Amino acid sequence: MEVRVEKRGSVAIVSIDGSVDGTSAPDLVSSLRQQVTAGTVQLVADFAGTDYTSSAGLRALLEMVKETRQHGGDLRLASVRREVLRVLELSGFTSILQVYPDVDSAVASFPA
Amino acid sequence: MAAFRNFIEEACRRAGADESLCFDLKLAVDEAVSNLVVHGYEGQEPGPIKVSFALDGDEIVITIADHAAPFYPEHAPEPLLDVPASERRPGGLGWHLIKQIADRLEYETSPETGNRLTMIKKFVRRPPG
Repeated sequence: MEVRVEKRGSVAIVSIDGSVDGTSAPDLVSSLRQQVTAGTVQLVADFAGTDYTSSAGLRALLEMVKETRQHGGDLRLASVRREVLRVLELSGFTSILQVYPDVDSAVASFPA
Repeated sequence: MAAFRNFIEEACRRAGADESLCFDLKLAVDEAVSNLVVHGYEGQEPGPIKVSFALDGDEIVITIADHAAPFYPEHAPEPLLDVPASERRPGGLGWHLIKQIADRLEYETSPETGNRLTMIKKFVRRPPG
């Protein structure tokens, strides 16, 4: 798994490439938490390059959704592939996470 | 974990299974093996985990054999799927996903031969082209 971060105004776009599993999920949490610690609490996780996630990835997302919301922000998902979206659906995550078709719409969903 | 997923991916591909089915089986095996590593072998020396894949008629049969602490499916926590994020708890998702994916699950445990989880899933052939 590789993670890249790009800032767009007050929003950090965290792009995740590869597979998120029990081995890589702690790195995902740490990349997202780094943004929160630095004061950026409006996060977009760009899943365009994420070809797989297990429940470990979902737990990482849940942890960081809670954390960003506690700080008045949110973690929103963009460009989630069909198979990965199914994992989110099977786990009831589409009702607690906001999922957008692309990064632009996810970024625009945050107040400027 | 990636090694087990790669094994399932390759076996699935060789069997000519549908890609979406391969994804689901990879996920189910990942969850089962992760549970063994995190819970089953917790507090003891990690032991062997053997995963096998077979096509039996129109069913895929995957077995996961181990010598970890026995697992009692009826005691596994059910995740609360209909509550807000603030009330969601992280546990139980792995077993929940396995149950969602498999058509049938069998679990046997014995002090002599260890544990064996069998997942059975209807075979769906990859569409041609």
